[in-house]
Amino acid sequence: MIHMRDVSKVYDDTGAVALDHVSVDIGKGEFVFIVGASGAGKSTFIRMLFREVLPSSGVLEVNGRDVVKMDRSDVPYLRRGLGVIFQDYRLLPDKTVYENVAFAMEVIEAPRRLIQRSVNSVLDVVGLRDKYKSFPSQLSGGEQQRVAIARAIVNAPAIVIADEPTGNLDPETSWDIMDIFQRINAAGTTIVMATHDKNIVDTMRRRVIAIEDGHIVRDEARGVYGYEA
Amino acid sequence: MKLSTSEYFIREVFLSLRRNNWMSFASIGTVAVSLFVLGVFLILVLNMNRLASSLESQVQISVYLREDIEDSTRRRVEGNIQEMQGIESVKYVSKDEAMMRLKERLGDQKYLLDALGDKNPLPESIEVTVKLPEMVQTAAEAIGKMEGVEEAKYGQDVVEHLFDITRLMRIFGLVLMVLLAGATLFIISNTIRLTVFARRKEIAIMKYVGATDWFIRWPFLLEGMVLGFIGGIVAALALRSFYAAMAAKIYSTLAFFPLLPQYPFMNYVAVAIIVSGMIIGTIGSTISLKRFLQV
Repeated sequence: MIHMRDVSKVYDDTGAVALDHVSVDIGKGEFVFIVGASGAGKSTFIRMLFREVLPSSGVLEVNGRDVVKMDRSDVPYLRRGLGVIFQDYRLLPDKTVYENVAFAMEVIEAPRRLIQRSVNSVLDVVGLRDKYKSFPSQLSGGEQQRVAIARAIVNAPAIVIADEPTGNLDPETSWDIMDIFQRINAAGTTIVMATHDKNIVDTMRRRVIAIEDGHIVRDEARGVYGYEA
Repeated sequence: MKLSTSEYFIREVFLSLRRNNWMSFASIGTVAVSLFVLGVFLILVLNMNRLASSLESQVQISVYLREDIEDSTRRRVEGNIQEMQGIESVKYVSKDEAMMRLKERLGDQKYLLDALGDKNPLPESIEVTVKLPEMVQTAAEAIGKMEGVEEAKYGQDVVEHLFDITRLMRIFGLVLMVLLAGATLFIISNTIRLTVFARRKEIAIMKYVGATDWFIRWPFLLEGMVLGFIGGIVAALALRSFYAAMAAKIYSTLAFFPLLPQYPFMNYVAVAIIVSGMIIGTIGSTISLKRFLQV
């Protein structure tokens, strides 16, 4: 699914080295936590996967596509195979729950009948079918993040990439979100999630990749957070 | 393009026009004013050209003969003119014919000529038409020196004057056009920039879920095009009234003026104006997208 070989990232404007010869492979159906302090390179790692950040050197393949050599015009097609989730939900405030999710299908020109079916089905997955008419401002933080997850998975991506998805949520709500991720993962979707949440990582005991100063310092199959929370 | 996609684009465009209603209004107004001024110049220049060319094709030399000229001299003058290069036609006008023409031209006021009684003060003349307007001056000068010729007059100076005016109007119109086009581009690209700004969250999400660059750009290009189109229609309608009013005014005061007939001329002008509006609108939004939409 993800194949990273000797990937480095140096930011042109500051000259800062965010990642330094990182190599890692993530297989289909894995559930991976990316942990590390702020500024360690976690965010760069995550954003490279959907080519918001382009590697300076090395080989990066995601979902069978060469991210480094890829033509700019192919980036949308890379992203159609990925679902991206952020800490701040990024919903459109003037669209309803239903419209927010449907938007992700409309803009890749999916047929209307398929849109209706898929949106209803993913709203079931995240448990928000009955709130489809609500606007984001009428929802709690956890509910908004569930809408964002629905939007990320509505196009049936092979990989879900989540950048601190529980960062703004209380522990109980965070577990609701993790439940959904576990269910998505059980259905075969690869999940890569950057997090600071010690409790979640230590409880779930999934693969943990720790990044410090642009290097992978730890990669354990059933790892723990390993830092003081 | 799929039907549902076109619907999506159209919905987005009108949503955005409503959302930025003041900027949209200002854009349409600027486009309309610019295109109207452009259209006025277009109409004037085309009509001046027409006037100039109709005067030009009429360019003829009136050769007035001496009072005491003999018939044989007159025929020799005619023959000499005929042999000159670049002469289109030579026509003799007798004293009687000249008087008849004058009466015709005076129309209702021909009674003025009654005072002359039987006397005819008009000279005999020869009307000479040359093939090319540039030849008029030299031809007239040569003819003027011939024996038995009193004077050779031509309308070239009028035509030259007209050409000067037309040229000046063209230059002035062009400069004004460039300035107005610049202002129009500026305001349209600003309107589109506001739209891009208002929709930056949507654009970011569109990119994350894999919308293509062109899918993201289309609504903005369409919006610019629609702004230009509406501005063009407003300008075309205003020009139509302008031309009708101008035609009425000119026909009542300068009946001889060879004004281009309103149809189909104004239809062509309308099409040109509306198409220009759409082109300006599209260029305006392209500028904005290049600068503010890094897709």
